[in-house]
Amino acid sequence: MVATAPLLAARGVSKSFFGNPVLRAVSIALQPGRVHALLGENGAGKSTLINLLSGALRPDGGAIEVDGRPVSRMTPAYAQQAGIAVVQQELSLTASLSIAENIGLGAYPRRFGLLDYPELAVRARAACDLVGLHEPLSIPVGHLSLGRRQMVEIAKALYRRPRVLILDEPTSSLSATETKVLTELLERLRGEGIAILYISHRLNEVMALCQHVTVLKDGACTADRSLEGTDASGLVRLMVGRDPGDLFPQWQASVSTSNAISVRNFSAGLMRDVDLDIRTGEVLGIGGLVGQGQEDLLLGLYGAIPARTASATVNGASGLPGGVPKANALGLAYVPADRKREGLHLIHSIISNMMLPAFARLPALKLRSRRAERETARGLAAQLGIRGDLDRPAQALSGGNQQKVALAKWMPHHPLALLLNDPTRGVDVETKREIYMMLRNFAAAGKAVVLLSSDTPELVHLCDRVAVVREGHIVAMLERGALSEEAIVSAAMGAEQRQVAA
Amino acid sequence: MTAWKETAARRRVLTILRSRPFLTVAIVAAVWIVASFVSRGFGAYGHLRYLVELAAVIGLVAAGQTFVVIAGGIDLSVAAIVTVSAVSLPLLSWQADPTGLTAVLAVLALTTTIGLVNGLGVALLRVHPMIMTLAMATFLQGLLIIIAGGSAVTAENPLVRWLGNARPAGIPAGVLLWVAVSVIVLAAMHATSFGARLFAMGANPLAATLSGVPFASTTLAVYGISGFTSGLAGVLVLGMNGQGYVGIGDPYLLASIAAVVLGGTSILGGLGTYAGTIPGAILLVTITALITVVNASPGWRSILFGSLILGLLLLSGREQARR
Repeated sequence: MVATAPLLAARGVSKSFFGNPVLRAVSIALQPGRVHALLGENGAGKSTLINLLSGALRPDGGAIEVDGRPVSRMTPAYAQQAGIAVVQQELSLTASLSIAENIGLGAYPRRFGLLDYPELAVRARAACDLVGLHEPLSIPVGHLSLGRRQMVEIAKALYRRPRVLILDEPTSSLSATETKVLTELLERLRGEGIAILYISHRLNEVMALCQHVTVLKDGACTADRSLEGTDASGLVRLMVGRDPGDLFPQWQASVSTSNAISVRNFSAGLMRDVDLDIRTGEVLGIGGLVGQGQEDLLLGLYGAIPARTASATVNGASGLPGGVPKANALGLAYVPADRKREGLHLIHSIISNMMLPAFARLPALKLRSRRAERETARGLAAQLGIRGDLDRPAQALSGGNQQKVALAKWMPHHPLALLLNDPTRGVDVETKREIYMMLRNFAAAGKAVVLLSSDTPELVHLCDRVAVVREGHIVAMLERGALSEEAIVSAAMGAEQRQVAA
Repeated sequence: MTAWKETAARRRVLTILRSRPFLTVAIVAAVWIVASFVSRGFGAYGHLRYLVELAAVIGLVAAGQTFVVIAGGIDLSVAAIVTVSAVSLPLLSWQADPTGLTAVLAVLALTTTIGLVNGLGVALLRVHPMIMTLAMATFLQGLLIIIAGGSAVTAENPLVRWLGNARPAGIPAGVLLWVAVSVIVLAAMHATSFGARLFAMGANPLAATLSGVPFASTTLAVYGISGFTSGLAGVLVLGMNGQGYVGIGDPYLLASIAAVVLGGTSILGGLGTYAGTIPGAILLVTITALITVVNASPGWRSILFGSLILGLLLLSGREQARR
């Protein structure tokens, strides 16, 4: 087994985005006839590594090897020629095209220069049979459920007869039966000598299916070994447990017993029947895997998406705000995750961005005072360390400073509760430290902070309590004493339940 | 200290000199100067005054259009609303009120309501502004044909006639009306929080909503304003023309959008000013006058008009790509 050259390998690859290293000297080798697991937390660099292996991105350093030979220019087209197929986490299907057309897209069989539909149907059928898709091939993909679409995506990869199959969280939207079909399929493909890279947050699947594991943490490889003799808790330990350093401010209890926000049977978007009390003076963390409904919880409380609740109290007023202006009036402020798309007006000046909440709540025909606006903005900029001309458009700022502007604009209105959606994503370490400081001070001043984060250490070191969300429910409420990265990750993945079951 | 002040003042002057509204003013001035040398009588005070009087109608329609475009929408029903105003006003009796003011106010209330309905469709039913206002225009045209038929109606309302023909202190009443409206529009756009919300909505509607900008009511107001100024333009054009007929407003759709864009307002929303639309409207009328001087056939006039607008837009800088 050792003698055979890996079909696809990365040797010490590194990659940075905008000066932030995402991968540091990572190596991975995919052997034929082996299912290789790739584990890591959100943002550990898994997707980047896949993109390097499939040619979607080019490494800054290191090399990609196919059949033991380094490839100088890896491109998606070359990867396809070399028999590398990727099943992406975010589905890449075209909703209006049929199943067959989607499966063959980009590699249609042709006859006389025209698309050969009968041949396409035969080959697409074969691929669909492998994954247990029995729907008629002519129906548009848009009519299928998310799980069936995922199977189409896998069939699309198989249609290309790959030698290397990379699956990025293939089972996150699959039912138990579909997962079983997939597991059997992967076993069979492994037997045919295909190399499989399998990314999943479901540890029991990984334990059952994979033979080898690579663990990424903060862009570095922390384990590359056989899965034999490892258990689920061992894997979790490999994924977390780093030195928090002095990034986080000293934690001090400032929590009171009064509630800033209290909801019963709250439903919004993916969230279903949630009970939640947010106390004044606390930083409440919201954790969990990406896309389990955490964002809908914040948006629903903020009145930005429709929400239902049996009873609710928000800063002393009963009932949900039901609209953003009303939420602002009740002292809620929201800082979105995607600051370019949701948080800022990039083409407008920094001053305009900082003053927008004021414009939104002042009487419509009240005359503006440019002098007062400038003074307020100067004060905010000084307080947050934003340097330079405030008349520049916001797009001239770095990511960290943009995030500061998105936070700063609420400060003149003295919100009673801050709802933050991943405020430190893509932000440099120094700004992170400043933001953490601000949030702790905010809580110390008796305000409530709700911190939704995909960064687990942040949740552990900054929060008084952490609510872990899975599949639209709060599955665990971890108190300060019980907070650890292991506890959050296992609650997020449902590892506890399995331990009970086992 | 004084040196710093000087550079600040210089920078301010430079900013104005480089701004799009100023560029449009400069183009208008250049065209006027050249044309008055080439064509006898073009530069006469009376002729220039007449051009500005014609521009007032476009300027009024484009006032509402500027609001709508800055807020990220577009109003394709302005021409139909001008016609509604100019055709329905003569049909209203003004005998009870010898000034004719009541009838004018009633018509303005009607056109504002039409605009508000546009706003309702866009804000609450989430119909795309282009579809909503185009459907409204088609609807109104059908209604007008049923009510007015093909015949022209004569305006006898004294206020309307005064507006179209009087020249207090030698300045046409229509131009005075335009100046008054311009002052209010510029103040609302740049000196109130309402104006600031429009720019935010146009530049990034999602971020504006999450910052607490009341989206529905602001959208409603913007289309209502557009209905109002189009109605006002209809009253003025009726006064200047003496008669209203179906189709009287037709030229003002392209003209209003062209004036907005020539004035430097981004068709994508979020950037711009009515200060640019004003010279934009005058520029459009000037081009039309030049084409008339050339004495071309109606077909060629339209072709020239369209090409010149395109050429001017290329000259004054296309929009930069935006992410």
